[in-house]
Amino acid sequence: MSEKVLLARVGRGNSRSIETYLEDGGYAALRTVFTGGWTPEKLTDEVKKSGLRGRGGAGFPTGLKWTFVPKDTKGKPVYLLCNADESEPGTFKDRLLMEEDPHQVLEGVILSSYAIKCRSAYIYIRGEFYLGARILDRAIEEAYAKGYLGENILGSGYSLDVTVHRGAGAYICGEETGLIESLEGKRGQPRIKPPFPAVWGVFGCPTIVNNVETLACVVHIVNRGAEWFAKIGRNEKNSGPKLYCLSGHVNRPGVYEAPMGLQMKELLFGSDFGQGMKDGRKVKAVIPGGASAAMLTPEEIEDCPLDFDGLAAKKSMLGSAAIIVMNEDTCIVDAAQNLAKFFSHESCGQCTPCREGTPWLHKVLTRIENGEGRMHDIDLLEKISNQMANGMTICVFADAAIAPVLSSIGKFRDEFRYHVENKRCLPGVKSRESRVESLAAHA
Amino acid sequence: MSTPDSKTPAGTAPAAPPSPPVKDTFTVLFDGKPIEVPKNVNLIEAAKFAGIEIPHFCFHPRLSVVGQCRMCLVEIEGIPKIQAACTTPLKDGLSVKTTTEKVVQSRAANMEFLLINHPLDCPICDQAGECKLQDNSFGYGDQRSRYDEKKRQYAGFDRTMIGPHVIADMTRCIQCTRCIRFCQEIAGTGELTFLDRGGRTLVWTHDGKPLANDWSGCAADVCPVGALTTKEFRFRSRVWYLHKTPSVCPGCNIGCNISVEHRDSVVYRFLPRLNPDVNDYWLCDYGRFLSESLNLRDIEKASVREAGQAADTHVPAAIQKIAAQIRQTLEASGPGGVFLLGSANLSNEENYLLRKIADHLSCVNRDAVVDKSRARKMKSKTVWVEGDHAAANYAGAKDMGLSPLTGGYGLEDVLSGKARPEVILAADAAFSQIADDPGKVAALRRARFLAVAARNANELTRAADVLLPASSLAEKEGTFTNVQGRVQKFERAFLPKPPARPHWELLLLLAVALGWGDRNWTPEDLRRQIQAEVEGYADVTEEELKGGIVMKKGAFVSVGAI
Repeated sequence: MSEKVLLARVGRGNSRSIETYLEDGGYAALRTVFTGGWTPEKLTDEVKKSGLRGRGGAGFPTGLKWTFVPKDTKGKPVYLLCNADESEPGTFKDRLLMEEDPHQVLEGVILSSYAIKCRSAYIYIRGEFYLGARILDRAIEEAYAKGYLGENILGSGYSLDVTVHRGAGAYICGEETGLIESLEGKRGQPRIKPPFPAVWGVFGCPTIVNNVETLACVVHIVNRGAEWFAKIGRNEKNSGPKLYCLSGHVNRPGVYEAPMGLQMKELLFGSDFGQGMKDGRKVKAVIPGGASAAMLTPEEIEDCPLDFDGLAAKKSMLGSAAIIVMNEDTCIVDAAQNLAKFFSHESCGQCTPCREGTPWLHKVLTRIENGEGRMHDIDLLEKISNQMANGMTICVFADAAIAPVLSSIGKFRDEFRYHVENKRCLPGVKSRESRVESLAAHA
Repeated sequence: MSTPDSKTPAGTAPAAPPSPPVKDTFTVLFDGKPIEVPKNVNLIEAAKFAGIEIPHFCFHPRLSVVGQCRMCLVEIEGIPKIQAACTTPLKDGLSVKTTTEKVVQSRAANMEFLLINHPLDCPICDQAGECKLQDNSFGYGDQRSRYDEKKRQYAGFDRTMIGPHVIADMTRCIQCTRCIRFCQEIAGTGELTFLDRGGRTLVWTHDGKPLANDWSGCAADVCPVGALTTKEFRFRSRVWYLHKTPSVCPGCNIGCNISVEHRDSVVYRFLPRLNPDVNDYWLCDYGRFLSESLNLRDIEKASVREAGQAADTHVPAAIQKIAAQIRQTLEASGPGGVFLLGSANLSNEENYLLRKIADHLSCVNRDAVVDKSRARKMKSKTVWVEGDHAAANYAGAKDMGLSPLTGGYGLEDVLSGKARPEVILAADAAFSQIADDPGKVAALRRARFLAVAARNANELTRAADVLLPASSLAEKEGTFTNVQGRVQKFERAFLPKPPARPHWELLLLLAVALGWGDRNWTPEDLRRQIQAEVEGYADVTEEELKGGIVMKKGAFVSVGAI
């Protein structure tokens, strides 16, 4: 079993308090930076060298992102926004970090703020994470009391304020410009880019938006060095420890930490991880990176390193590393319909193709699932999908919305045809009703 | 022009080389054809310089760019993904492709998406005929839809008045947010907003507060579909039956450029007419809904009161009666007994004629009065223009010389009793609310003879000895001078119903009867005289007066490209 870095303190008694965090060597990175005379540039360089890529979904190199803040901000303040709006279906890693080890997140926020010369940082937390927001608020209070936040942190002359801002329940606010709009008090709608947030972000000021896990990684890059971080994982482009959110029909779902590039099979069947399929059923499909990632078939997961490039090679994506496992009892049409429903519900509604296309996909899929489909509906779904994405909309929500539809039809077309022809699910597949019943019985 | 160079020692400045002329245009390639376009326009407007129409819904030149209807997608050389034209910044050498397969497909796709939930109730929709959805569907859409599902309905949000004038029908809405942006960015009142999200998104008012700003009709104007319509025009006429006549709003002295929309001598509506210096694309509700008042007429015929009894007569006879009374007074007591009252509702030509009559009679007792009104504001392209007089031509009436001359008296003196004219000619009965005030009218009635030209009855017309049937704004041509000093022409939409005549014709007949002028003069002849005689009007040529651009509802036109 590999060493736990990000989750090292999860499960320790009273892990949320600053006392235990300090006992475990917390805020050492902060002291290294401030008493060691690190400049923001040095910190940025370290992060660049580590190869850290954003853990929120897009996998953009974090250090490089930080350098996009203009050298001369023309007197405007710079903002760091911690994206804690973890809403991708199947994703629950940031929640664990915030609820179990809030000071690790906070230390990452402080370090990153220092790197981009930010004096005021916001943690935009998903509205439903009420507990997480309270825990973070408490942690921030403690950090102020101990002098890790506020004026002149550790005598360095650097000052920082951190504010927790709760969202109001919209998936699209996890998109960085949607998040910025929401934080400004507006409707959560993604902005037209360019200008990018690093130039024109929240309140029109240069802004960096980083995921919770990304920021937590910064702490360990400072503590143990960029080289240590870069060596973890399959290669230097896919480096560092990674949290995987495993859910679905496995014996032991949960958040697992492993070096970047863990094999999918290991995650599903390894004794340290998922411990195999529930009731010994077979794998039918796996969504490797949250609802927006294309499904993979059992053949595709054979040699499937779970990192950015490994999954890109399979025309899917690591995304938020939410691995959703479906067994052979699952109706793929039902799964696609369920995901389409989610995207239809969460589209912000500003761009025509997404606003009109996502409910259309949902309606057609619902018809097929209900046995009212026609053969041309399958082609129609593909055609609708193809005219929604690839620049047709402002943000990539539509691209995400069509991924489950296109991948499920592409890989399970026969099952869709069976559905249309026989007006029912494949033999042996449990209907949604029976699954709901078995869940109820289980509860 | 040379700029001082700090590096050059003083006194030894060499002859500065002529600086290269700064280009104020970009060269943009549209489908390979290089076109010079101004730097400050949007790509959608720039395309018009190349004669290319880029279809769009949400873009409006005076509202912020949101890029959300996705109809204006084009290909830009060097960018792999298709781009929204409205959000693409102009730059030199930009190469735009508007006819590629990808562009054609994306337009058809967007039209399909927009129409799947649109009710297609064009036969009962007022927007039909000036609907961008119709136009773009015809131009870029596919005739058939692949949508077999149930259409979205907005129960409770259809056919509902959301303000004193605007009716909303969200089922027709295409969520372009033009109305929201108008209220936010131009009116500055922000009544409208998006509610809910995704396919359930709808435009509505905040907390049910009404859409009641001074320009709420413009929200219906900018609506490219029939989602917002005005109560006043709803179901009154098919727009393709309407003729559009360029005119000027009579509501106040801002003088917003309007299009009088009429059929069979009935005015159906006013729409703003683009003039960036005055009202831009906008029109206030007060002015817009004055349109109906142009159809009202009480005074059908000329009448003369003999021994307390009013009797209909012919217009020439009535004119002769006035001329006779004036001549009689001149002979008996000189020009001091004649008082000529112009009006800010009358055109420059008409007020000029009245002034010339006064000059001809050597009468110094002349005036033009108008009520101060609530201050009205109109957003031009750059600034807010403010008006405060209740009629369109106060500045013009004064410019034409309708103020008492030295030794003469004005309306105040007549009303207070300081002056007692024998004959009063009120060239327009609607000159002020004074004309509805029995006490003030009694003061005017102290004159031996009172002549009034009017279209609608009021206290003053009821008191008149001679009443002349005058025309409405739509029934005559002329010019108004607005609060900015801008002289603007309004055209005749249709002829007045005989025997009513335009004020200028009545006044010209009177002038001729008094021995001055030519019966064959037209307003254009009068404008030439004004140009020659009136200070500050020398530049107001017929060419100068061609201004403003007629628009369709929901559409816009670019000033530069027409």
